[in-house]
Amino acid sequence: MNGVRNLLRARELSAGRGVLRQALLGRDRPWLQGSSCAQSFWLVPVRSIRSSAALSHSELVHSARGDKEKDRGFRDGSLVPFDELFERAHEGDRNKAAFSRAVELFCQRDVRRRGHIEFINAALRKMPEFGVERDLDVYNKILDVFPKEVFVPRNFIQRMFNHYPRQQECGIHVLEQMENYGIMPNKQTKFLLLQIFGEKSHPIRKYQRLLYWFPKFKHINPYPVPAALPQDPVDLARISLQRIAADLSAKVTVYQLPLTDISDAGKEITQLHIVGIQSPDQQELLARHNPSRPVFVEGPFPLWLKKTCVYYYVLRGEPLPPEEKEEVIDSERNFYYPMHLDLDLDRDLWDDEEFYVDEVVEGPIFAMCMAGAGDQATLAKWILGLQQTNPILSQTPVVFHLTPGPRELQAASDSESGEEEIPQSWHMKQEL
Amino acid sequence: MHPLPPRTPEEVFPYPEISNEELEEINQFVGPVEKFFSEEVDSKKIDQDAKIPPETLKGLKNLGLFGMQIPEEYGGLGLSNTMYARLGEIISLDGSVAVTLAAHQAIGLKGILIAGTDEQKAKYLPKLASGEHIAAFCLTEPGSGSDAASIQTRATMSEDGKSFLLNGSKIWISNGGLADIFTVFARTEIVDNDGAKKDKITAFIVERAFGGVTNGKPEDKLGIRGSNTCEVHFENTKVPVENVIGEVGGGFKVAMNILNSGRFSMGSASAGMIKKLIEMTAEYACTRKQFNKKLSDFGLIQEKFTLMAVKAYVMESMAYLTAGMMDRPGVPDCSVEAAMVKVFSSEGAWICVSEALQVLGGLGYMKDYPYERYLRDSRVLLIFEGTNEILRMYIALTGMQYAGRILTGKIKEMKKGNVGVALEIFVNKFRDSMGRKVDLGLVGKDGVAHPSLEESSKKLEENIYYFGTTVEGLLRRFGKTIVDEQLVLKRVADVSINLYAMTAAISRASRSISIGLRNHDHEVLLTNIFCTEAYFKNNYAMAELEKYAAENLDDSIKKVAQQVLEKRAYICSHPLERTF
Repeated sequence: MNGVRNLLRARELSAGRGVLRQALLGRDRPWLQGSSCAQSFWLVPVRSIRSSAALSHSELVHSARGDKEKDRGFRDGSLVPFDELFERAHEGDRNKAAFSRAVELFCQRDVRRRGHIEFINAALRKMPEFGVERDLDVYNKILDVFPKEVFVPRNFIQRMFNHYPRQQECGIHVLEQMENYGIMPNKQTKFLLLQIFGEKSHPIRKYQRLLYWFPKFKHINPYPVPAALPQDPVDLARISLQRIAADLSAKVTVYQLPLTDISDAGKEITQLHIVGIQSPDQQELLARHNPSRPVFVEGPFPLWLKKTCVYYYVLRGEPLPPEEKEEVIDSERNFYYPMHLDLDLDRDLWDDEEFYVDEVVEGPIFAMCMAGAGDQATLAKWILGLQQTNPILSQTPVVFHLTPGPRELQAASDSESGEEEIPQSWHMKQEL
Repeated sequence: MHPLPPRTPEEVFPYPEISNEELEEINQFVGPVEKFFSEEVDSKKIDQDAKIPPETLKGLKNLGLFGMQIPEEYGGLGLSNTMYARLGEIISLDGSVAVTLAAHQAIGLKGILIAGTDEQKAKYLPKLASGEHIAAFCLTEPGSGSDAASIQTRATMSEDGKSFLLNGSKIWISNGGLADIFTVFARTEIVDNDGAKKDKITAFIVERAFGGVTNGKPEDKLGIRGSNTCEVHFENTKVPVENVIGEVGGGFKVAMNILNSGRFSMGSASAGMIKKLIEMTAEYACTRKQFNKKLSDFGLIQEKFTLMAVKAYVMESMAYLTAGMMDRPGVPDCSVEAAMVKVFSSEGAWICVSEALQVLGGLGYMKDYPYERYLRDSRVLLIFEGTNEILRMYIALTGMQYAGRILTGKIKEMKKGNVGVALEIFVNKFRDSMGRKVDLGLVGKDGVAHPSLEESSKKLEENIYYFGTTVEGLLRRFGKTIVDEQLVLKRVADVSINLYAMTAAISRASRSISIGLRNHDHEVLLTNIFCTEAYFKNNYAMAELEKYAAENLDDSIKKVAQQVLEKRAYICSHPLERTF
């Protein structure tokens, strides 16, 4: 019994492995001396949270600590004691205050911070639930859990041999989570890391790397997506259409605002939003378009903005065959200087920097839109709206090439008929 | 290092930075000021009426812009030079307002600020900071513009020795009609150490309330029409002895310090104006179509935008580098650098506004658009705060003074016929002509400049080295009579200004790449363009400075000038004249 108790206590202690190391290095821990020390050192695997907890399970009654409050985490029968600490700490909503309280509870519980690595790992796991993963103060608080100055190497042997590797790994995990969420550490972090691990330790190196690379990457995206996207679908459509068009003179028009109306008959009429964009260049192209050729409405194409996916539709025309391309330059176009020299000389081979490899002849794109629903009726409303500024659309046949969008598929699977959308043609001639 | 009051690489690299807190603080100031200027300052009306409306002045006072550099204990904002330059960028959107504010604080009350006693500061600064009293700087007289030491205004000591009587008149005083506090420079008789009586200039704080201060009507000017410029006459104005700034007879130094400390902000002001112009002009160039192409597709128009962007970038870099150096504790005075900033920025602004107006063509010429107003306002930048010609002489001669002190020993030895020194000089010259490799610590393994800027840094190093040898040669040829060779000094000044500009641009671009600011690759492009152009111009100027250089046209220039000025007219015969 005694031997088992010693073994189990030794395993408990090895959860705060530092204590064991100190024993190895000759600190004064009389009850750790002896064979059990060496055995337990070899028997305990690297990550033994669950085994130690499960084993400490059987020590319930005989636990040396008297304070029931502190130990409930160990006794409640859960597999992972520290998660329980977080569960308990939030009476009410999960927020920064609750999280900090949980961390403080752990720190107050034991001056030697036994089990701090598991606690820190559990804390890192719990951060998204509490919504504090982007908060630098919380990370500094978590780093504060490490006992200070214990893990700083004191002589050249310790410096050579990766002093307190698990703790350093744990420190690196904290910094790694910071890096994943893109949070820049501050001076407080550096001070803490120096106090805990000393200079030239792995966490400090990682901190230095963060400080080197993060500034370089901060502005590296020439088209950054704003962190907080608007919820309103019209605003979202506006921003994403401007992003696709990438033309500062393109104009966004809202053809229809979303609204839910109850008509006189008591039925609900819902209108979905239609937001379109067209630039002056596209307007001119459309004006020059030959009305006997059809224009196509295609879509929906997905656009991913971080975690949101929006769909847009495109109004495009077919590329003209080479015979119909107009290239004649009037010799009287310019009063002041000739725009066309009447020489038989072409551009020299070595000065010809035109790029041929990836050139794919594509038809012109006349306008784009985002709509709440991708059915023909809504998009027809868009075309109607476009006709205000592009009268040629009233004489041009418009062909709808619509693939089933995700909502249509869902609706189709819900509805009984379950018909699939196949590209339909619909001629539309309207006199305005 | 290099012969100008030397800036070792440690002083200019890395580019001076301000802390995050200061940056936040200044950004908080910037917002309301920008809003005020875009909404409540009607520049067109100010230009037409030739007057700043009192509501605008009141708004400026409320924002605290009348006391930007006054310490907080006297009620001002207590901004550092860098922050003052930052706010200057926004204020320059309206030329008249900018000049009124600058005349009030950059020169009007600067004297009290830098050389005043504590009593003077406590007495005058609070009201000046709140804008209740406006300050003006009175130095120029009808007979002395650039020649400030020849002023005739006299201040005679009264019998009881407690006050001075001021007599004289000053012209072209900005804020002359509005001001209550004047910093007046006058001649006083002082008794020297050896008992000789001499006339020296003294600076006084004169209040309008002392009596005898009258001002003429506001002058009708080409540009900055909203600024109140008028004559100020002093008739037996009684000035108490306590109102002397500095000591009696020490006015020259006070004036020098005042004028030298306000110049650098012109760099950021011009840069702010050009940035605004680029926005407006680009909007126009990208929408207007001629010959079925947008204006922005034509190469000549694109060149103008590049010119504006490069000049704005270099101006900003120089201004903030100078401001940062001045803010750093313990750095010696930066008056030469401030002068360089002023010369470069004023000329750059004039050229850029002209080009922007050109992009708009006929529309730029119309009064409906602000370009012609910006053009007229920026013309005065080359004139006030020290004309560009005077400042070029100042830059060149201060540099020569410094270089001369170091090189005098060596040159004298050589002239005496010391063979060793002569041989050394000959060998150096030979090595130079063989193309010496210069290394001043900018590039290479421990170089302070970023490797992307290696070429520009090499060009800068080469220029600096050859400039050093050129200056040495000039001193050897002319000695102290170089003071009279203005055409030579002009080239020396131009090269120095270009060198400083290149340094500032490289320093700022290095920092941008190292910390990953947005669009730092664009900055590298701008720096490389500027450095290549400046390198070429510098080499040409230095080639002109060689003795018997073929490019040197100074003698011809002087001959033509002498003939024209002799007859005070253009002397060529008319092309249609016949002899027989």
